[in-house]
Amino acid sequence: MIARAGAGPRALPGWVWRWGALLAALALWEAAGQATAGRFLIAGPSEIADYLWTNAGLVGRALAVTLQAATAGFLLGNLAAMALACVALLVPRMAWLISALALLVFCLPLVATGPILRVLYGAGTGPQITLAALAVYYTTYLPLLVGLRAAPASWFDLVHTYGQGRMAELLRIRIHAAVPYLVSGLQIAAPAAFLGAMVGEFTGAERGMGVLTIRAIGALDVPGTWALATVASGVSIMSYLALGALGRRLGTHPRDLLLAPPQATRRPPAARRALGRLGRAVGLIIVVLLLWQGLMEGFGLNPFFAKRPADVWAFLVTVPEAAANRALLLGAFAQTMVLAVPGYLAGLALGAMLAAGVVLVPGLGAAVLPVAIALRSVPIVTTAPLLVLALGRGATGTITIVAVMIFFPTLVACLTGLRQTPGQVMDLFATYAAPRRQRLLLAQVPAMLPAFFAAARMAVPAALLAATTAEWLATGIGMGSLMALTASTSSYAMLWAAIVLLASTAMLAYAGVELLERRVLRVYASEQRQP
Amino acid sequence: MLPDALPPPDVCCLGLAKTFGSGPTATEALRPLDLTFAAGQTTALLGPSGCGKSTLLRLVAGLEAPSAGHVTIGGNSPAQVCARAGLAMAFQDASLLPWRTVRGNIALALTLARQPADPALVERLIALVGLDGFGDRRPAELSGGMRQRVAIARCLAAEPRLLLLDEPFGAVDELTRLRLNFDLPRLWEKRGTTTILVTHSVTEAVLLSDRVLVFSPRPASVVADIAVSLPRPRNRDVMATPAFRDLVDQASAALWAGSLAGPLAAE
Ligand SMILES: Nc1ncnc2c1ncn2[C@@H]1O[C@H](COP(=O)(O)OP(=O)(O)OP(=O)(O)O)[C@@H](O)[C@H]1O
Ligand SMILES: [Mg+2]
Repeated sequence: MIARAGAGPRALPGWVWRWGALLAALALWEAAGQATAGRFLIAGPSEIADYLWTNAGLVGRALAVTLQAATAGFLLGNLAAMALACVALLVPRMAWLISALALLVFCLPLVATGPILRVLYGAGTGPQITLAALAVYYTTYLPLLVGLRAAPASWFDLVHTYGQGRMAELLRIRIHAAVPYLVSGLQIAAPAAFLGAMVGEFTGAERGMGVLTIRAIGALDVPGTWALATVASGVSIMSYLALGALGRRLGTHPRDLLLAPPQATRRPPAARRALGRLGRAVGLIIVVLLLWQGLMEGFGLNPFFAKRPADVWAFLVTVPEAAANRALLLGAFAQTMVLAVPGYLAGLALGAMLAAGVVLVPGLGAAVLPVAIALRSVPIVTTAPLLVLALGRGATGTITIVAVMIFFPTLVACLTGLRQTPGQVMDLFATYAAPRRQRLLLAQVPAMLPAFFAAARMAVPAALLAATTAEWLATGIGMGSLMALTASTSSYAMLWAAIVLLASTAMLAYAGVELLERRVLRVYASEQRQP
Repeated sequence: MLPDALPPPDVCCLGLAKTFGSGPTATEALRPLDLTFAAGQTTALLGPSGCGKSTLLRLVAGLEAPSAGHVTIGGNSPAQVCARAGLAMAFQDASLLPWRTVRGNIALALTLARQPADPALVERLIALVGLDGFGDRRPAELSGGMRQRVAIARCLAAEPRLLLLDEPFGAVDELTRLRLNFDLPRLWEKRGTTTILVTHSVTEAVLLSDRVLVFSPRPASVVADIAVSLPRPRNRDVMATPAFRDLVDQASAALWAGSLAGPLAAE
């Protein structure tokens, strides 16, 4: 389809763009390193290579340790995700609760769960593996659940007309429909597992990439910090590409927009829907409180660090210092949100705008996508100290980290979404020789919206993670710093209060984005089955 | 509105061929084909499924690059004609934008053709295809046949001089289909439009066209070229005449004979 691919004579072949861009980036990087030499900012490729050469053994051993923990967490997290998705599918009435609990656990701030896990496990690799598993299971669970449902209603009708039931549905349709989604979920999970393992190592492990990173930051070792971030990025990108290759061998293709008629379910009236939502929220809170209390008692965890709901309530409401506690907590919270929200919005906006801009230039989209995909898997958080080094401890540094963390996943999602515009719609525009700008605005951007909103939802916990990690490792203000401080001074009630506050904020924001998404997609993706 | 001075164009295919892919998996969809579609005429294309009819239309619309030969529309290339919004295509699946209403989908053609918005025209087209009262619905709320009718209305909106219709009534019910078969030709006769219509219904082919081309199985070649000189406007009475039945029989026979000459003959 000449008109669609836009591979006109002006377009350069993709590899020219790709290698050209790579070389240009390396040259720029080296130049920046040279220009800022002596200012403890940027280490160029040559300095990094030098560091790695002299410390090959050290970095190699640390990498092996971290990779081991990441792999274990990756396997455990994904197994948990698959089990959860199957349960949610087989018990549809409970699906919302399972999804909500899964999201809640995903929204727990790693910066706080890290130290608590460390106290729980003591020394060893337990926290790293757990954090790696926690970092991946949701990014697999969600696409898997969508994939298991991503089939036109007529396929299920077909199975039913032969008198087959749920099992046949699962085996004949759902599993096949889910494979591409599962692969793309695993692809995102691999770098996330590595990131989770590194963050786990930040909290007092003996060995690993995270430990080296913390030491390098502490010693203001610029080449070291850059070298470790580069290695972490390289590993993440490689794991991403390897899983992508595996997916292609399995014969999964990028999924198309589903143009199946929507399920003929009648929407209940607005009042009843609102009531239902309220009921679910209350139910969720009750279940969470019961689980929280039950787990603590069930495992007989020491109340000194394993605070119960009542302890947090007392800390914030009934003890004499409650007002001061609240003021401290909310003050830090405000500091964090002031940075996280602009970063979140900027990351989303820039990602979507660049994706849209890129498709305006023939051939550029195909070239940018792999680069963006590779950069998406860079563990941004581990580069946070570098960005703060470069941009200073002020607001700009943290906002940039949050924005960068969200930018790449959004860009990738939007680029993919733009490419999923149905071919015949693009053909229609071609028969009127519609200019690219018009195709973009009238066809591609609306077709991109589902992907954009999916990215916006997943970016909510990511934004909080990025902001708190930057605060913890670099800027020393806000929730990240507060949590790190309370963990080291053993004021665990404050730590638990911080967890509750951040997790509920993330849940609420996620729900808010989801609500907006539903509104928009009811119009813009009315032919897609709503998950 | 286009100036009335613009006459409908003729369409010439010279040595037109299309092969998809290359090597052992190559699919030869069209083998070199010389065809002329006269200006202002309606030509119906009949042929077995998969023989290359859609491919031929897409080549004429410039949506595919020919492997050999070329297409001219009134002496111009397809790209030049598209740039002037001189043609409109109805795709085999309706391909409506799911986020636009029926009205919005029809009006889209005017936007794309760089013509001023014309709500009255849109309403007239909605009425023409029998969708009164559905102007504010979105495609997901319509039946397959209703969507196809929206696509036809969209095709007509910008008053193109060349219409490429790929099974435009495939999912429309028999009664509505017949009514459209009677009504639409009046519209394009009045304006002067060259029409190439792909259909699987022999009756419809004869009823709508001035000429019926019957294709063999893939790679398509013309096995029959039947002139249809029934009086216009055509209605139910025409369908009862012996001349009409005769033409339908001829086309059916050619279709049957063509299929025997093709790969199915072995069975
Ligand atoms: N993009 C493509 N890539 C490869 N092969 C194609 C492509 N488009 C069409 N073909 C092949 O070309 C042949 C003709 O297809 P085409 O769609 O033109 O058939 P058709 O006559 O319109 O059939 P139908 O009546 O079923 O719509 C088919 O064998 C098809 O497999
Ligand atoms: Mg066809």
